[in-house]
Amino acid sequence: MGRYVIRRLLQALLTLGIVLFLLHYLMALSVQVRGNPALLFFGGERTPDPAMLAQVERLYNLDNPCYERTGDPCVRPFIERLQNYAAGDFGTTLNGNRDVGELLGVYIPNTLRLFVFSTITLVVLAMVLGTWAARHHGRVIDHSVRGTTILIDSVPVFLILLAYVYIVAVPLTRWARGIWDTESFMGQVFRPNYNPDYPWTTIIVPGIILGSVGLATLTRLVRASQLENLGSDFVKTAKAKGLKQMRITVVHVVRNSMIPIVTGVGYLFAFMLSGAVLTEGVMGIPGMGRMIFGAVQRQETNLVIVGLTISAIVVVVVSLLVDLIYAALDPRIRYE
Amino acid sequence: MSETLRVIGDTLPGADLNAPLLEVENLQVEFKVRGKSVPAVRGATFTLEQGRTLAVVGESGSGKSVTSQAIMGIVDDPPGRVTGGEVRLHGIDLLKQDEETRRTVRGNHIAVIFQDALSALNPLWSVGFQIGELFRVHRGSTRAEAKKRAIELLDQVGIPDAKNRVGHYPHQFSGGMRQRVMIAMALALDPEVLIADEPTTALDVTVQAQIMRLLKQIQDERHMGLILITHDLGVVADVADEVAVMYAGEVVERATIRDTFKQPAHPYTKALLRAIPRVDTVGQELEVIRGLPPNPASLPGGCPFHPRCWAAEDKCSTEVPPMIEAAPEHRSRCHFATEVYTNER
Amino acid sequence: MSELTAPLPEPDAAQASLWKDAFRTMRKRPDVIIATVILLFVFTMAAFPSLFTDKDPARCIGRDARQRPDTWFFGDHPLGTDGFGCDFASTIVHGTRPTIVLALSVIIFSVIIGLLLGLLAGYYGGWLDTIISRALDVFIVVPMLLGAILLLSLFRERGSGGNLIETVAPAAIALSLFGWMEFCRYVRAATMETKNLDYVVAAKCLGARDRRIMFRHILPNAIVPVTAVVPTSIGAIIVTEAALAVLGIGVQPPATSWGVLLSKGTEWAGGGYIYLFGIPLALLIMTVFAFATFGDALRDALDPKMR
Repeated sequence: MGRYVIRRLLQALLTLGIVLFLLHYLMALSVQVRGNPALLFFGGERTPDPAMLAQVERLYNLDNPCYERTGDPCVRPFIERLQNYAAGDFGTTLNGNRDVGELLGVYIPNTLRLFVFSTITLVVLAMVLGTWAARHHGRVIDHSVRGTTILIDSVPVFLILLAYVYIVAVPLTRWARGIWDTESFMGQVFRPNYNPDYPWTTIIVPGIILGSVGLATLTRLVRASQLENLGSDFVKTAKAKGLKQMRITVVHVVRNSMIPIVTGVGYLFAFMLSGAVLTEGVMGIPGMGRMIFGAVQRQETNLVIVGLTISAIVVVVVSLLVDLIYAALDPRIRYE
Repeated sequence: MSETLRVIGDTLPGADLNAPLLEVENLQVEFKVRGKSVPAVRGATFTLEQGRTLAVVGESGSGKSVTSQAIMGIVDDPPGRVTGGEVRLHGIDLLKQDEETRRTVRGNHIAVIFQDALSALNPLWSVGFQIGELFRVHRGSTRAEAKKRAIELLDQVGIPDAKNRVGHYPHQFSGGMRQRVMIAMALALDPEVLIADEPTTALDVTVQAQIMRLLKQIQDERHMGLILITHDLGVVADVADEVAVMYAGEVVERATIRDTFKQPAHPYTKALLRAIPRVDTVGQELEVIRGLPPNPASLPGGCPFHPRCWAAEDKCSTEVPPMIEAAPEHRSRCHFATEVYTNER
Repeated sequence: MSELTAPLPEPDAAQASLWKDAFRTMRKRPDVIIATVILLFVFTMAAFPSLFTDKDPARCIGRDARQRPDTWFFGDHPLGTDGFGCDFASTIVHGTRPTIVLALSVIIFSVIIGLLLGLLAGYYGGWLDTIISRALDVFIVVPMLLGAILLLSLFRERGSGGNLIETVAPAAIALSLFGWMEFCRYVRAATMETKNLDYVVAAKCLGARDRRIMFRHILPNAIVPVTAVVPTSIGAIIVTEAALAVLGIGVQPPATSWGVLLSKGTEWAGGGYIYLFGIPLALLIMTVFAFATFGDALRDALDPKMR
């Protein structure tokens, strides 16, 4: 077990290192090919005074000559960047000159809150629907569960959100406030936008909607793994041992079914990250997603890179966790 | 362990201890395959006495495994369903009992050993847990007691260092050791009937012999009834007392093992025997049964064996043969049972 | 139930009957038939837009702007006009081609990259496998949408050229680069499984060359799991394209795609012109749903365990 964990940890670090380097290299290439993003500081069009430009370049760590040589991997600035990251310095925004590290301190908790709700929604819905479909394998319920989840999955999350914001949210909020107090939970929960005064309440609905990403995939996984285990030889043995159906399900089916589900959730997490970009953009939640959304539209390269770096770290950590849970669940991996 | 030593309450209420241990009569099982009913077992009949070993022999697809699952009451439903017949344990028809009673019968009175121990054991639990589970569920033992019993059992089936091995997982055992774990699990509650479904097929030849010896030894010690399901007559030759040969879902010949080997009364059994390699026929070409086992979804009319039978006549393709007593205690489902028995055919 | 299965036929025959069986099962399912009809409709629209509309989407008359589609599917403007007086039906029909071309080119590139890398990694193993697996790990860390956002925001020049290829290429390249991993994983796994099968080992012993073994013996097996996920992936690509368009970095106006129409439509939907948002939305959902349904059925039909 110990050796497995260490090996997996080193692997994750290596992957993360390569990802960070590639992100850096892509950015360097972009500067080399497309010209200096520091120009944006001066509004793009005008040609600034060379002395001022040089100052701004220094400010954004773009003064290294490697940025003029196309194809140069710019290793030195990469190391400097890593050192800065390690020291908690993520640079400043071009627009408004704010400290990115400080912004992250606000953004990351918001996105995490969003993920709490969407992960719970996804796992609970998929487990319930998948188990239900497996029990009624091949019958009407099975087919309708499948059709519904595919339909939900076919509608892009940001479009559900747009529809919610423009069509459902306002009348629903009005209705809820007619019955309950504006300041109450119900008065806030359906709001069409995020309100920092209610950081948990106003994030529930977008969280639930974001949780529909990959619902069909996970439901399918749950259904398939339950079917496979229900028809397996060891369940037959359990029956032959005279165990009750309940015990067979809890002891011999659920744990075995958890393995593919844990993998599936880890895999879908990356998709939820991309869903968060648009969810937070549409709902005005100040999180990592909206930061990337805004950074793309304002062409703030550094912010895009920082955002993706964080997302990469999250994905690597999540897949590491998944593997560890996997090992905890399955002795065949633990004792390899 | 004799009948009187068994724990009180271990026998089923209403059981007649003078009745035969296990009687299977005209058992019928069907499977639904793509909306069609396919008969897997079409009237299996045999009797097992206490302390005796019955070999159920047949090719794959002959319905022998399904028969054992039907006795246990663990046929997958859907697609399978027991549609008729009786399974009597000490005179009590199990098929008429409610699920709760049947559940107590499993493990307590009838236990089963499957062919592939690797897939029949749950890969995520230690073997000690899986054996101990029986004591905890049926006897209400504590975790520690169950573990202690599991160690004893593992020791009894010849697993060295049982104390240590009890916490190991199925994938950490070799094939033969895994099958011993299965046997330990089946023996846990001291059942009266043990069904071994191809217990040695997945094993190496040397290990096969060890496992067969272990089964025989345990049966002698505990005076159990043993049903050995196999496709290989050679394996059971020196272990079994009686033989039931199955073909296309029915028992086509029933006799003692001596009689069966010496004077088979069904052409199929004869063909099976000729297909066993023997020392005294070295140099001669080994005979094979021509043709393929019939598809259970579309059985030939009359005697299901007639398309592959060398002795078949017109009658065989139209009339279903009855069970004929070719000799005392020797029955065969063939129109020419007596002729085959006396070697006139 | 293992007792009731027939003996296994030859591998090649098994392949042929697998596809044939899958086709036969699919043909009987009503949801598959509906999905196929929808897909045929969309593909025809992409291939022959003139069959559906005779108007030029670029011919816009300002005074005809914002006509609601009161004469549904008939009259001068079957689906009304947009904010600049362009015929909306014609805009939608002509926006189909870039959407479909983009989705298909992304899937073709992704499958080719995934197949080749997966085959190489699975067949040769060793350092080649180590490199490719590491690349897989790295790319999988960045989800498709984020990867495309990264590339497009770093390298994209705003505005676009006139013809189809220039419109679609940047987004197609960006999406393909982050879309091949799933295929590669499947192919790699299938290759490693197949290469030790008896008939492949036999072919090797008979002196067949690596390339022949890979393409003649292993590929037919490896292609099965890939095919099963292709339709669903096409749906996902269409959705991602729409998301990129909403972010303003996908297909660039004045060129149109469903994503561009949706992104423009959101601005009008709040002002009471819901049809400008609703119609492309319905079309997109219908198409993605059709792809997903088709893909789901295909996956079942190709998976012998599910039968």
